[in-house]
Amino acid sequence: MITDSLTLPWPAQEASAPASLPRLLPAAGTVPVDLRAHLARYGALRYAGGKGRIVAEVAAAGLTGRGGAAFPVARKLTAAAEARPAPLVAGNGAEGEPASSKDRSLLWISPHLVLDGLQLAAEAAGTGTAVLYVRRNQRLHGRLAQAIAERAAAGIDAVRVDVVSAPDRFLAGEESALVSRLTGKPALPAYRSVRGLPRLGPGRPALVQNVETLAHLALIARYGAAWFRIAGTEAEPGSMLATLYLPDGRTSVTEVPLGTGLADLLGLDPAAAGPGVDSVPSAGGPVRAVLVGGYHGAWLSAAEAARLPLANAALRPLGTAVGAGVVAALPADRCGLAETARVARYLALESAGQCGPCFNGLPRIAAALDHLAGPHPDQRARADLERWAGLVTGRGACHHPDGSVRFIRSALRVFAAEAGLHERGRCTGTDPRPFLPVPAGRPARDADWS
Amino acid sequence: MTGITHTTALWYASRATGVVTLLLLTAVLLLGVLVNRQGRLPGLPSFAVTGLHRNVSLLAVAFLAIHVITAIVDPYVTIGLAAAVLPFVSAYKPFWLGLGAISLDLIAALILTSLARARISRRAWRGIHWVAYAAWPLAVVHSLGSSTDARSGPVLAVLAGCVLAIAVALSWRLSRAAREIPRAARAAATLSRMPARKADL
Repeated sequence: MITDSLTLPWPAQEASAPASLPRLLPAAGTVPVDLRAHLARYGALRYAGGKGRIVAEVAAAGLTGRGGAAFPVARKLTAAAEARPAPLVAGNGAEGEPASSKDRSLLWISPHLVLDGLQLAAEAAGTGTAVLYVRRNQRLHGRLAQAIAERAAAGIDAVRVDVVSAPDRFLAGEESALVSRLTGKPALPAYRSVRGLPRLGPGRPALVQNVETLAHLALIARYGAAWFRIAGTEAEPGSMLATLYLPDGRTSVTEVPLGTGLADLLGLDPAAAGPGVDSVPSAGGPVRAVLVGGYHGAWLSAAEAARLPLANAALRPLGTAVGAGVVAALPADRCGLAETARVARYLALESAGQCGPCFNGLPRIAAALDHLAGPHPDQRARADLERWAGLVTGRGACHHPDGSVRFIRSALRVFAAEAGLHERGRCTGTDPRPFLPVPAGRPARDADWS
Repeated sequence: MTGITHTTALWYASRATGVVTLLLLTAVLLLGVLVNRQGRLPGLPSFAVTGLHRNVSLLAVAFLAIHVITAIVDPYVTIGLAAAVLPFVSAYKPFWLGLGAISLDLIAALILTSLARARISRRAWRGIHWVAYAAWPLAVVHSLGSSTDARSGPVLAVLAGCVLAIAVALSWRLSRAAREIPRAARAAATLSRMPARKADL
């Protein structure tokens, strides 16, 4: 039986590069891809042969982090390769953002791409320890254990991978929270005074990459930078996984090239998106507004969104970013202020309770938004919200207050007309059902972060 | 020997700066307790309390330096440079001056780690900052033991006032800590204090 594990029972020839999207997920279906099917589709992973080569290829590809911050991966890999001692490598699949499900979809369907990428990152960093940090979910953890066992049986990995479970908290995937969790402490964000790689302790640097980033790394190592750049724009190359919320209530995880029009993603009719239009027709019904970048992102009016691409170059001037690829089209029969108030309350309760401006300011802002979402709000409520938002920004150890306030401020801008209606006792929302997902549980004890 | 003469000036300077240093150290400790428990002073924003704690501590260091230097330079009693920093090596009142020397060393550690705070871990800095609770009582006992002024009269009253103030501050600190809401529940506690909104549309 030993020979069986050495001579692979499937064709060893080079598989050709996927010519079109999707690259990361199977072309059809959501059936988990096992190692045999994985190797049949992508071919065996040729190790880059030393630290330098993969870093140069990633730099040429222009790959950026897909966890939300879009940080250039080559720069992190270079820092990791130079770090002494060699850093621990962690794949971040915590995905605390409730509106995003792309990481868990990727881990469920294509775990071997992520595990390939983790091996490559470990090789680039010259390290012998790798960790996969994944949201607590028995089925998903079982699936990952099975995938790791398949690879161990085939003997294709150089570095052992441990799976660590992340608590079900919004901030659990924040880099410093991940680092805290890996040192056995609660997954709480921390101040970071040191620049460069985060540290698990003195002399213990860590390289943290989102799991989707690792999957792209696995494909760049196989097919090269030029292939990667076939998709996407010159400034923001490649593809990304997006979690889409369509106005008819359907949600999906789709791989799209960066720079794709939001109108194409959501089926919006750009011809009907003139300035000042308060809703835009789409295949799934009229759309009032579009949330881009998740709960630390920003609302855009449907008319704005219909003319914009999914690219940071276009979104940043409007105060949002591609983030982790959440794009949600709010149907015209829902109240944007009520949606925002519900999410703001959730964000406030997810404060780690470490910084005063966050745990005092966000609940106050959430309560004011809740007031604004109701009938006949106080005329001063909007001015109060803007003032409190300014007091909270930049005052936390992590970016939770800043991101939450960005989201809330965008609602005040995009739903300004709606707020005016509320002040006169009216509301355009006729469907009271919640649209954006908000988890029910909230932290009560510090143990809820472990 | 009465009055300030050229031979007693240094001795008086040392005693006077000693008393002032103790008052300043007491203020530093009070402000430190306030900073630690996020307490406020009327009319001051919370970051100003932190700034005051820092600046008063630097002022205390200046007075402490004069107190130690004048004591060493003063020819009336022989206190060597070594006795100022090494405990219990002084020929004059070795025990009481020794306590002062330990207090001086602890304060030096507090100041140096605070000046280098950006370069050391938050945890190490916090750990070392706990010695403030040892440095202050050592300074008080050093004052009582080494100074003949402090056995009675106004200096004793000042000392008693300092001890009382610190006792009050510490009991306030402990009661604040006991009432502390767990981190995870802080945002929920704030939210529950917010007024509920009017009925839905």
